[in-house]
Amino acid sequence: MKIRIIFLILISFFIFENLIAKTENELVNKISKNLRCIICQGQSVYDSNSEFALSIKLIIKKKINEGKSEKEIYSFFKDQYGEWILYDPELNEMTFVLWGLPIILFVFGGFLIFRKIFRN
Amino acid sequence: MLLSNLGYYSLVLGLILSIFLIFYSINEIKYKLFNLKISLLSILFLQFFTVLLSFFCLIFLFVYSDFSNQIVYNNSHSSDPLFYKITGTWGNHEGSLLLWLLVLTLFIFLFNLTSKGQPKRYKLLTIIFQQIIISGFFLFLLITSNPFNYLSPIPIEGLGLNPILQDPALAIHPPILYLGYVGSSIIFSSSLAALIEKNINRDWTVHIKKWILYSWIFLTAGIMLGSIWAYYELGWGGFWFWDPVENVSLMPWFCLTALFHTIIVLEKRLILKSWALVLAIATFTLSMNGTFLVRSGILNSVHTFANDPERGIFILIFLFILIFLSIIIFFVFQEDENSINKNIFWLSKETSILVNNWFMMYFLAVVLIGTIYPIFLEVINDHKISIGPPFFHKLIIPFLIPFLIFMAFGPKLKWINDDLKKNKIKNIFILLICLLISFLIIYIKGKSYLILTILFTASFYLFFVTLIDFLNKKYNLGQKIAHFAFSIFVLSILFNSIYSTEFSANMKIGDEIKFNNGIIKFEKIETFKEKNFNSLVGSFSITDKNNNIFSLEPEIRIYDQPKIVTSEADIKTTFFSDKFLVINLIKDDDYFNVRYQIKAFMIWIWISVSLLIVGGILSLRKK
Repeated sequence: MKIRIIFLILISFFIFENLIAKTENELVNKISKNLRCIICQGQSVYDSNSEFALSIKLIIKKKINEGKSEKEIYSFFKDQYGEWILYDPELNEMTFVLWGLPIILFVFGGFLIFRKIFRN
Repeated sequence: MLLSNLGYYSLVLGLILSIFLIFYSINEIKYKLFNLKISLLSILFLQFFTVLLSFFCLIFLFVYSDFSNQIVYNNSHSSDPLFYKITGTWGNHEGSLLLWLLVLTLFIFLFNLTSKGQPKRYKLLTIIFQQIIISGFFLFLLITSNPFNYLSPIPIEGLGLNPILQDPALAIHPPILYLGYVGSSIIFSSSLAALIEKNINRDWTVHIKKWILYSWIFLTAGIMLGSIWAYYELGWGGFWFWDPVENVSLMPWFCLTALFHTIIVLEKRLILKSWALVLAIATFTLSMNGTFLVRSGILNSVHTFANDPERGIFILIFLFILIFLSIIIFFVFQEDENSINKNIFWLSKETSILVNNWFMMYFLAVVLIGTIYPIFLEVINDHKISIGPPFFHKLIIPFLIPFLIFMAFGPKLKWINDDLKKNKIKNIFILLICLLISFLIIYIKGKSYLILTILFTASFYLFFVTLIDFLNKKYNLGQKIAHFAFSIFVLSILFNSIYSTEFSANMKIGDEIKFNNGIIKFEKIETFKEKNFNSLVGSFSITDKNNNIFSLEPEIRIYDQPKIVTSEADIKTTFFSDKFLVINLIKDDDYFNVRYQIKAFMIWIWISVSLLIVGGILSLRKK
């Protein structure tokens, strides 16, 4: 019973999380932090002041005003410049290992410790 | 010319000494073919001296702006201030490797100086392994990265030091970081030697623990300095970008942190021997790997100021030899732990330290995979992806929650066997209070992130538990401070992420703009001529929401040699927040791009890491 209540609370938190609206500027900042400035050396669009970054920021603003969602904006940039521009790699057949391996290693490590302790 | 020759041949002599030391030690251990009565210590000192001499030659070449030397020409300019002429010595590939070598030879000398009581064969074996590494670096320098190459005809003027490297924090960042990296090589050599000699006992643990702590202290300080520099110099107000080169310094740190927790178990109970060895080998391998990744130019990063694929291949081969060697030694000499009295009870200090190791290895795996995965994907599939902060945050932040809780009660558990029942009510009470505080913080801020609330709760829990522990004299002070510092560290990052605000706009002189309850006014801009750059200093007056007026003066520097524009942020630091203002030029316009940020609890990030280092230093004195 207790577990069910905790579970419900958790779920409601997660649903609630996505409902909070952000101001336009915050959203531009958030999105531009997740895009690579592809002409710079290891900087995000947000951090950079190059002309490329400035124009990308303008495009983000325009897309938000057009009513595009965050996801749509990312996929727009992905189509334009390739996956290289996204700092948050998508989960697809190229990145299964990337996302999965750390978790598998974590489980495996836990198993090793478990075996060490409960061997006898 | 003279100095270049002196520096070069001094290095050659150092290499010869290195080879001599290897053969001498092998002879002493095994064959005893000839009987040489020499003092090892004096030869090790002589070797250190040859590298020191060479290093000083290079410094003097820089100080005198002798452009007949290739790297002086590439990285210095006669108008650079003296301080940056000197620090320019290690602000490039060749010079920084010479610094590596200098620390390597210094450390093996100090190692021999301070381990008089250790068995002779063990010391000789350590010297052999260390000299193999040292001779590798000598060869690397002399063959692929000679710091004393001539240029002919001699150029009249140099190209100048990269302006973003002209900074006090960055000037001492590499030497401090290298002290940490290179310290791990001593741990590596000594572990292999102890393994071969079957010398892994309490004495050895006490003796090597100091080296582990020294390396850890320097590595932590080095990483912090780099981070502080990135904060104010790169102009984006962040302190960690998960840039590949930052990650590369973090990887040995995770390993080293795991190692010195393991070594405590080893000291007390003589278990986990093999695991400690694996960590020792891994720490050094990751330090070398860092050098390889940075120097080979594989990484696309702000740090890659010098690179060359040929060098990358050399380090890669060298690295493989070392890994191969250590794996063979590990499997040949490793002994099974006999299982009498070696059991680990599920609720004990041993288990909690294993849990620490478990998480450290996980964090390491995330950072390692996140850093090298794009390289592999590009080579194998010709597919280019970027891995940035979101990836690391998603995989690390949720795991911090159990980690922080374990960190709070782990140190309080007894060795061998403990009981869960004591203090149960007290702990639940603290946990509830933490949950309440966290909920209020998130609620008032109007954010509702579940993970954030739980993360706050876990960090507050660690904070209060370690705070209460200060009243209890039973536990080790260094450990208490370090864990307490870590809780402040996580808390300040959390506060920083939810309470920071920022505002950016394009402004021209005289503009006044309102932003969230404050006013920012662009008063004027002044031009100054400095020794090696022109400087534009803007004056801004800012009225905050409590009607306090203060001024900030960010600067733009236009360097002549090389022609680079840098932005110097002006930062007003208080205990609760940093006011961070940076301006940038916009092409062909009267306007400047102005970015004003209020970074909450920024200084606490540095304070907490410094406190972490203090914890490490205090752990040194405990036997």
